[in-house]
Amino acid sequence: MEDMIFYDRLQFAFTITFHYIFPQLTMGLSLIIVYYKWRFLKTNIEKYNNAAKFFMKIFAVNFTMGVVTGIPMEFQFGTNWAKFSELTGGIIGQTLAMEGLFSFFLESSFLALFIFGEKLMGQKLHFLTGFLIFLGSWASGYLILATNAWMQHPVGYEILDNGKFVLENFSKLFSNPWLLPAFLHNQLASLVTSSFVVASIGAFYILRNKSIEYGKLFLKTGVIFGLVSSLLLAFPTGDWNAKNVAKYQPATFAAMEGIFETEEAGAEIVLIGQPDMIHKRLDNKIAVPNILSFLTYQDWNKQIPGMDQFKEEELPDNIPALYYSYHIMVGLGTIFIAIMALAVFFLWKKKLYTLKPLLWAIMFLVPFPYIANITGWYTAELGRQPYLVYGLLKTSEGVSPTVSSGNTLFTLLGFVALYMLLGLLFLVLVGKTIHQGPTSQKH
Amino acid sequence: MTQTLISLISIIIGIIGANLAGLILKKYTLGIIGNTIAGVFGSILFIKSFGRLGFDPNAIMKLGNINLYLFIINIVVSFFGGVIAVILIQKFKKVMS
Repeated sequence: MEDMIFYDRLQFAFTITFHYIFPQLTMGLSLIIVYYKWRFLKTNIEKYNNAAKFFMKIFAVNFTMGVVTGIPMEFQFGTNWAKFSELTGGIIGQTLAMEGLFSFFLESSFLALFIFGEKLMGQKLHFLTGFLIFLGSWASGYLILATNAWMQHPVGYEILDNGKFVLENFSKLFSNPWLLPAFLHNQLASLVTSSFVVASIGAFYILRNKSIEYGKLFLKTGVIFGLVSSLLLAFPTGDWNAKNVAKYQPATFAAMEGIFETEEAGAEIVLIGQPDMIHKRLDNKIAVPNILSFLTYQDWNKQIPGMDQFKEEELPDNIPALYYSYHIMVGLGTIFIAIMALAVFFLWKKKLYTLKPLLWAIMFLVPFPYIANITGWYTAELGRQPYLVYGLLKTSEGVSPTVSSGNTLFTLLGFVALYMLLGLLFLVLVGKTIHQGPTSQKH
Repeated sequence: MTQTLISLISIIIGIIGANLAGLILKKYTLGIIGNTIAGVFGSILFIKSFGRLGFDPNAIMKLGNINLYLFIINIVVSFFGGVIAVILIQKFKKVMS
């Protein structure tokens, strides 16, 4: 049984990690495309229109890969997590079906119109199709987050005698206090990824001395969007999320912050340290006293329960992984603010386009927002353990009892091979698009 | 669970079909990026639409082992899904412009 759960979780972790490479870019990029299209409508300067169309090509490749890698997710609910689907299908089925029916179709239908319909529709309708793509992708994120928010903080449900969860109040699913902060934080994080991608393509063009006009435009857009979104990511949305975790999942909060022992007067914030699970302490830690209490409760001396206040079974089952995921996410987020602030400063000083070390840094930083986004999701998912539905349904109760660990391992290896192929194809297609550059076609 | 792998394999076959169609029927090609996207959506559309006739991934694995005949039908349909998608999208593109 232990083996089964391990491989089922491993497979889900692998497939969702790979899948989330794509939607995190499409959600943020759709907003930047709408911005370029709006700028074109306002100014009638062709380069904005070409920028919108160029990034829509990258969007299309990402969207397609997101669809392909999303299929195993859908299947896994039935194959690996049949018991979970059976028990909670009455609730999560609502939001997941809405995601597929409304958001996905909205996005894919208008994507085709945006790519092919500019001449036929005219510029205003073309802008509208871009806006509807943005709406579809963000609605998709909202409905996925609504599903996850219910798993993190279940509301509006009733449990029947047979153990099945049914929805008692539909509106509570969308007014879940977990949902809005998680949604805003997630969307801003995806905007950070997109900003870095846009800025790094710009930096690449400038460094290669190719499509300089577009290089400057992309870099400027990327760093401004990047600074604003990474600041908003930390505050208020990151702060709001952390407060939610402290309120609704206090054991998770203690674990992710690395608080092994409750301190009488105010909790310190740990910047660096290594969890030692045998001696229940943090080794080699660097911490600032009382800051965590202040950030969480605006009270320097407020006591925050440590892990010693909870029973073993209430704590997440992989504390080091949770702790590191959270700290990597926060650490990278801080670096993003610093880099983008520096870039905006040099943009204001009119030196950014010639400052090669910073251009190289921006170009090579592009994988890191992806890592931050994914570790952010690991924090949420590892923090919820050992539950699938927090406090109500354990992960061990949700797996499919008839699927063997050998079967899961076999298909996992298959996924690894196929995803490597898809990943390679993705890199070729995006590389080709970037190499071709934004074409200066007249509309 | 093998069903999921089958669905991914059939999408990859759709991509191959679409790119081959673009290579052979030059007037319909959408470029490697366009052909690939068309291949993905064509194969998904065809398998979702016609797979119910008895060759969708669940039917292929119904008895516990892979039914090779059904698998081959699935692959062929997926391949043509990719090919037809390229042709249709090119026609759609012409209409739109």
